[in-house]
Amino acid sequence: MRDLPTGPSLLALAREVLLSDLLPLLPEQHRLEVRLVANSMAIAEREAVLGTGPANQLLRELETMYGEAEGEPEVLSRFARDLRAGVFESSAPHDRAVRAILWRLTIFKLRQANPRFLAANSFN
Amino acid sequence: MESQRSEVVREAGAGRNHRAALARFLAAASGAAKVDVSGLAPLRGGAIQENWAVDARFFGGLLTGDQRLVLRTAAPTGVAASLSRNEEFAVLKAAFAAGVTVPEPLFASEDPAVFGKAFFVMRRVDGTAAAHRITRDPLLDPSLPAIAGRLGRELARIHTIRPPRSGLAFLPSYEQVGPAQQIAGFRAYLDRHPVPRPVLEWGIRWLETHLPPPVEPVLCHHDYRTGNYMLDGANLTGILDWEFAGWGDPHEDIGWFCCKGWRFARLDREAGGIADRAPFYRGYERESGRMVGRERVFFWEVLASVRWAIIALQQSDRYLIGGERNLDLALTGRRATECELEILMLLDPDGAPSDA
Repeated sequence: MRDLPTGPSLLALAREVLLSDLLPLLPEQHRLEVRLVANSMAIAEREAVLGTGPANQLLRELETMYGEAEGEPEVLSRFARDLRAGVFESSAPHDRAVRAILWRLTIFKLRQANPRFLAANSFN
Repeated sequence: MESQRSEVVREAGAGRNHRAALARFLAAASGAAKVDVSGLAPLRGGAIQENWAVDARFFGGLLTGDQRLVLRTAAPTGVAASLSRNEEFAVLKAAFAAGVTVPEPLFASEDPAVFGKAFFVMRRVDGTAAAHRITRDPLLDPSLPAIAGRLGRELARIHTIRPPRSGLAFLPSYEQVGPAQQIAGFRAYLDRHPVPRPVLEWGIRWLETHLPPPVEPVLCHHDYRTGNYMLDGANLTGILDWEFAGWGDPHEDIGWFCCKGWRFARLDREAGGIADRAPFYRGYERESGRMVGRERVFFWEVLASVRWAIIALQQSDRYLIGGERNLDLALTGRRATECELEILMLLDPDGAPSDA
């Protein structure tokens, strides 16, 4: 149990104060750095809001595909090794399923890191 | 991937200690009786290389009069793949001699007594290299297709430099740096990286199974992109940042220039965020007399996205592993996923699943 306001809402408020109130007071040569600080806060906020649910779902899909529960680092490493070796290329259904996982993984990560880039590429 | 920027950001105390030694060096190198260094200040940018603005008055010799120069030297954290300053100076001289628009290279020194480390000096050119400004400026918009054409012609001139060249004997052969070797390098890096990157592995596998036939190598800039040329208004004043130059497939530079990672504010403008591909390709083809191979460019564009992703991860490693306290570098690692999205968009004809 945590007190209110939540961590993400505090980050959002702190970011607004930083950009609206403090940034205009700073000399030009420090403004880029402040925007980077604000961007870092926005990523942390989105990560907190989105949680690990979608990532866990992807891991479960991988474990289902492999037919065993291995845990995050192991199953992702195995997946990466198999992609390098072209293991899924001989089976069209596997290949399609793998590509769907790659898309979902990438879109999930970009929802955290850079949703504007997703939007600029016509993804919601 | 940093450049000669026009903006002087601060006067550095350390610089004052070097002025006298630099003035003596410039006098000896240019044949002047005396040189007064009136200004010495770092230019903005320089995560990999440091660039210093030098204002100097030469009394006699090759450069007699007032001169605006840039001194280029290594930043504290170098990148293993980049050339030494002396080597970059040799490449810049070759490009200048081939008629490429570059800041004229003047003198180089490896004597640490002059500036503490190896450096070279070139003329300072006017303008801005700021990519976001160039890709956003509405006043520049009408001129951008012509600028893209000019950049195509400049690239074709760079590619007239071919091995063997005695002055560039330090560059590794194409056989050492071709696509298969780059793929091996990407995988070696990913093997050391703590977090698996399935999309990169998938993209690299595609590259491995679609290697283009070998080609007669040319001098490639290897970082030819918006952000690495200077514009003074609509006038191209210099191609910058030659530290990654080497022998390669000419389509490598074209793919790098066009890849999405270098389009900045205008993802829709496929030639460097400034224009359609047509004027860029046309400029290249007219100057070189050779057609741009669209399929070869596609291969190199996929490779460019992989390379960009690896560079992004390496930049954040400088914080994560090297302990460099730099927020910009730390954040750059997140951009690897943008490259992964582009790899998927390029290579998966089915597109994203509807539930993604």
